[in-house]
Amino acid sequence: MVNFTVEEIRALMDKAANIRNMSVIAHVDHGKSTLTDSLVQRAGIISSAKAGEQRFTDTRPDEQERGVTIKSTAISLYASLTDPEDMKDIPLKVDKNDFLINLIDSPGHVDFSSEVTAALRVTDGALVVVDTVEGVCVQTETVLRQALGERIKPVVIINKVDRALLELQVSKEDLYQNFSRVIESVNVVIATYYDKVLGDVQVYPDKGTIAFGSGLHGWAFTVRQFASRYAKKFGVDKNKMMSRLWGDNFFNPKTKKWTKTAEGGGERAFNQFVLDPIFRIFGAVMNFKKDEIPKLLEKLEIKLTNEEKDLEGKQLLKAIMRKFLPAADALLEMMILHLPSPVTAQKYRMETLYEGPPDDENAIGIRDCDPKGPLMLYVSKMVPTSDKGRFYAFGRVFSGTVRSGLKVRIQGPNYTPGKKEDLFVKAVQRTILMMGRYVEPIEDVPAGNILGLVGIDQFLLKSGTLTTSETAHNLKVMKFSVSPVVQRSVEVKNANDLPKLVEGLKRLSKSDPCVLTFISDSGEHVVAGAGELHLEICLKDLEEDHAGVPLRISDPVVQYRETVGAKSSITALSKSPNKHNRLYMIAEPLAEEVCKEIEQGKIGPRDDFKARARILADEHGWDVTDARKIWCFGPDTNGANLLVDQTKAVQYLNEIKDSVVSGFQWATKEGPVAEEPMRAIRFNVMDVTLHADAIHRGGGQIIPTARRVLYAAALLAEPGLLEPVFLVEIQVPEQAMGGIYGVLTRRRGHVFEETQRPGTPLFNIKAYLPVNESFGFNADLRSNTSGQAFPQSVFDHWQLLPGGSPLDPSTMPGKIVYDMRKRKGLKPDVPGLRM
Amino acid sequence: MSTQPLEVAPVLSTPDTHIFEDPTPPVDVARLPRPSNEQFLVIYEVERTVREIRAGKWRRIALQFPDEMLTDAPRVFEALARGLKHARSDRISSVLPNSSLIDSNGAEGISKSLADVNLSEDGPQEKLFILADTSYGACCVDEIAAEHVDADVVVHYGRSCLSPTARLPVIYVFTTRPLALDMVLHAFRETYPMQDGKIILMADIPYSNHVALLLERLQHDGYSNVFAAEIIHDPSSPLPNRSVPADVKEKAETLRDYQLFHISDPPQSLLLTLSSRVGAIHIYPTDNSSAAPPEALLASSAMTLRRRYALLTRLSTVSIFGILINTLSVRNYIHILNHVKEQIAAAGKKSYTFVVGKVNAAKVANFSEVGGWVVIGCWESSLIESKDFWKPIITPFELSLALKGDAERVWTGEWTGDFQAVLTERANVPAISDDHAAEENGDEERLQDSDIGSEEESAPPEFDLRTGRYVSHSRPMQAPPSQSAKKASDPERRPTSSSLMKRTNGDLAQVGGVVSPAAEFLRNKRTWQGLGSDFEIAYDEPSSTDMPGALMELGRSGIARGYAVGDGSSKT
Repeated sequence: MVNFTVEEIRALMDKAANIRNMSVIAHVDHGKSTLTDSLVQRAGIISSAKAGEQRFTDTRPDEQERGVTIKSTAISLYASLTDPEDMKDIPLKVDKNDFLINLIDSPGHVDFSSEVTAALRVTDGALVVVDTVEGVCVQTETVLRQALGERIKPVVIINKVDRALLELQVSKEDLYQNFSRVIESVNVVIATYYDKVLGDVQVYPDKGTIAFGSGLHGWAFTVRQFASRYAKKFGVDKNKMMSRLWGDNFFNPKTKKWTKTAEGGGERAFNQFVLDPIFRIFGAVMNFKKDEIPKLLEKLEIKLTNEEKDLEGKQLLKAIMRKFLPAADALLEMMILHLPSPVTAQKYRMETLYEGPPDDENAIGIRDCDPKGPLMLYVSKMVPTSDKGRFYAFGRVFSGTVRSGLKVRIQGPNYTPGKKEDLFVKAVQRTILMMGRYVEPIEDVPAGNILGLVGIDQFLLKSGTLTTSETAHNLKVMKFSVSPVVQRSVEVKNANDLPKLVEGLKRLSKSDPCVLTFISDSGEHVVAGAGELHLEICLKDLEEDHAGVPLRISDPVVQYRETVGAKSSITALSKSPNKHNRLYMIAEPLAEEVCKEIEQGKIGPRDDFKARARILADEHGWDVTDARKIWCFGPDTNGANLLVDQTKAVQYLNEIKDSVVSGFQWATKEGPVAEEPMRAIRFNVMDVTLHADAIHRGGGQIIPTARRVLYAAALLAEPGLLEPVFLVEIQVPEQAMGGIYGVLTRRRGHVFEETQRPGTPLFNIKAYLPVNESFGFNADLRSNTSGQAFPQSVFDHWQLLPGGSPLDPSTMPGKIVYDMRKRKGLKPDVPGLRM
Repeated sequence: MSTQPLEVAPVLSTPDTHIFEDPTPPVDVARLPRPSNEQFLVIYEVERTVREIRAGKWRRIALQFPDEMLTDAPRVFEALARGLKHARSDRISSVLPNSSLIDSNGAEGISKSLADVNLSEDGPQEKLFILADTSYGACCVDEIAAEHVDADVVVHYGRSCLSPTARLPVIYVFTTRPLALDMVLHAFRETYPMQDGKIILMADIPYSNHVALLLERLQHDGYSNVFAAEIIHDPSSPLPNRSVPADVKEKAETLRDYQLFHISDPPQSLLLTLSSRVGAIHIYPTDNSSAAPPEALLASSAMTLRRRYALLTRLSTVSIFGILINTLSVRNYIHILNHVKEQIAAAGKKSYTFVVGKVNAAKVANFSEVGGWVVIGCWESSLIESKDFWKPIITPFELSLALKGDAERVWTGEWTGDFQAVLTERANVPAISDDHAAEENGDEERLQDSDIGSEEESAPPEFDLRTGRYVSHSRPMQAPPSQSAKKASDPERRPTSSSLMKRTNGDLAQVGGVVSPAAEFLRNKRTWQGLGSDFEIAYDEPSSTDMPGALMELGRSGIARGYAVGDGSSKT
């Protein structure tokens, strides 16, 4: 039975201090969805018998089938603390022991990282799940980094402790050591991405920010829980007890003395007081010591039903542990006590969320989480409805209150205040509560809550800002850690199905935060995704659901980038068609760090130009004058190429700026070598000579000339091709390592890190692998290691294609260029300088 | 500002580096053998031309040459002048030739001129003019240039698109080129081993008079089902400008059963048109200089068609179209112009019409407001396949596809360059544009129904297939119904009053009460709006208030060739 009503939830929404918005994040297969089940079960949505198996938040059939989460799923839960005393420990005072937990279960596979990003944006806290045995993996690190970047506070649960006990049969001290190793590696990651405003958010068991447990069996505990138990029993202060139950604190039961070392027969308190009861239960149940069990149960005050008493082995273990240490209790306690409420979180998140000035009414509304302020709502993703082709806009209210029928301004990602582009006015049809597989209509939703909106899906492609204020700037556009670098083109088998395909592509593009669908210059419908699995799922959705027509799908291809390797050997000059205007430019490489920052949105065209110049000058060694004279970013006005004005007092330069910028956007979108986009090039306008008559220096004269001179400058600067490279992390037992090296070498990959997981025969291998060579890599790897290696690939960086100049068809890059030009229907030879 | 002599060509002329991309395949003049005098007379059909001119009793004759034949123009001129003089002095008889004369009035006109013949008395001497630098494509008859010299007739040399003309009679001289028939026969046999296959024999215009001979020899060889297409003046024919087999006349679809053997490379637009209509096209290359007998190659237009598809989908979300008039001589161009305008307006978009002469990248890039161009020209020259243009250029046929909703657009590979077909289609389906506009709005209407009583709401953005993003305001002329209703009922509110009105933030720019996308472009997209210093760029946020404006000074007046400064005394 669901133990709460929509009315109750609605009432809680007004008390922002009693809300916790959190996402569950982790590496793939560390048990997020399984753990989430315990919470869902506590809320009465699913039965306790099914918890841990049903994976309630995996709503799609293929998610259930593959056992992997693909889409993030939100669910609102009602919860209260078991011990009302605990309320005193909540940092922000609340007056009621009722809490609204808005929880988002996210996918763990790297290919779906964008879903995680979308989930993190609307939450304030994160439950990071780490596998006891596998420890911190690549995706753990990625999602943690993202969370900290969004100023989201983490708490950790070390999951699958049952595996350590049952499969690996470790000793108590080994388990403790294992725990502390995992915790340490989590803290290393957290410390790396330290954020001054967020403060120290490292996790410690003795602070109660770490839980241990088993999602599958439905149990978990925090040191704090044990501390309260013992505090009552021994009559000592709970906090003192907590600090003793972790770390190098030893208790000698004979002398009843606490020491800092194990000398003199002391035993580690954690082992003695926390692990011991658990080990005993495991020992008794799994070794079928039937007589011991009732005694233990009595001691631990666990009451089993008669049916449960008849169970045996793992089933019995599950039943006992669930009664003894219910996972939901530990998790809820951790979330309520240690994760921030929207009131707390929005104070420090405001400046990372809002693009506008930090002192306008919208910023203040966000900062104070003010339900009476102007509406500021961020839509982070679109969730398909049962009505085909329509979507719920899923998002979070940061300020104000949204209700059905409210007329809002919908600001797309390209909106700039005062302009008309990407701005729409529309009434919200309905507001709804997202409950996993179900939705519940709700009258209105105040600041601090997560919700779904009906009726605005046509106005936003993937994400955007909703507001009621005319002066509002956008909430920052999300930056994803993955890029759609793998492309496949699709075509209909029957030409008359084309409209269906087009419609399907539109829907596909909406339904996934990361996927791109477009038509290439050569007229192919292209779907671009983060990796092979991501594309596979997208194309399956497209064929079976969104388009519903038979498709022909091409082999995957990667998109390259054109770049330069040096400064232009001479200044490039182009004359306009009428020979009256001359443009002089040079191209030079743009530092990789700058490119990365541009791509991550840290440096962008919308920044204040003085602040941007400061960053470029201070952190990247730019000349301040240059840094202030950036004309534009490109392609698409936000790419990682820059056009810098280095001219000295040229007449009429103002007038041709727009034309040169147009030419720049055009040229950077289609480079000279193979019409691939350019990347990491800085173009300097050295000089221009212009005709005195405005008519002779119009766009027609300047735009094509700007494009030509940019091409020439790039061709004079050792042009090169960049290919995308995956970071691959592989976990493999020692004996299968040879196979990995073989496969990687054949595919131009190289290993740059190899570490053994302490206490296990498992090795962690990190390697770089060109995306172009990664197709079929997983299958190849599996067959070469008899299925023992599990790779995770995520786009990491762009790398210069080695092997010579792309202009020389006898080299490897030259051959790729030749093939690419042929595929695109261009002349096979790269045009020369004198085009 | 001192007076300078004019050193370079005035700007409005076409610079030599940007000569219009002529759709006719370029012919390397240097490689063509210089014809002997006799051959010359045959190639340029001087005798026939003279006969026809005499028969038509035309006095002022314009000779139009494509660029690569201009070198021969003086010789042709002399030969014709000599021939005409000779004919005049001979005055033997007026034997009427098998006229291949076509004038705009068709057969009627010819018979009329025939009737006149006997009454002829020689007036003043015939005057010949050479027309160089044609305004549009060399394949079209340049009637305007001919009218400048008051010509009675145009003699058009070289390959021609045979588009119907509006004003003047035309004598076409196709300038036949030689063809090695044995080689062609050999290639033909290699290509079609089956002797009973249905094959259409077609040749590019300069080779077309070899077709009959070839057919004879093929029939002799046992090919029974070969059809030789003859030249007719109908670009809308299933085989443009060629006759079709009898069964095709009844049912156009049967053309797909035929294979096509084409001598010499056809122009791109012809290839595109044909590729969806016939079974397969084999092209016999004529520019082959190697000794080995050339093979007929299977033509594929799939790549070009796909590129055209990419172009036209790119234009489906464009809000401003430019209509380029690329001909003034093809009949019906006014009709198609109106049709295209209507179509664009029905889709809620804005169109502007331009006449720029020969199209080149520099000319059309001057209008950065325009998102895409539609060319109204003859069927051969409308297809402009060049990457140098800033904004894509499409044909009226492609436009009708681009403006179709995404839910209807089908790309089967059918392509037609002739706008006559578009007009015919419109006649058949009169309300096509209204239909799809209504359907497009279906969604919107449904939405609006659900919340009646609310104020104006924005139209949803459109998905730009080309980039995969949403584009807002792709139909600027489609005012929200509520807004337009308000306006209509309240004419007083038109901005006639002189009091200042605050512009609502984000309102579309209007000129005279009509939404003007170009004014909107000026306001939003251009950073330079004509005010401010000529020397300094305000790197600060471009708010026009804190930029120092330039001082007002007396400007110049006049035309671009020479401006007058101040009171007009000094010229610059």
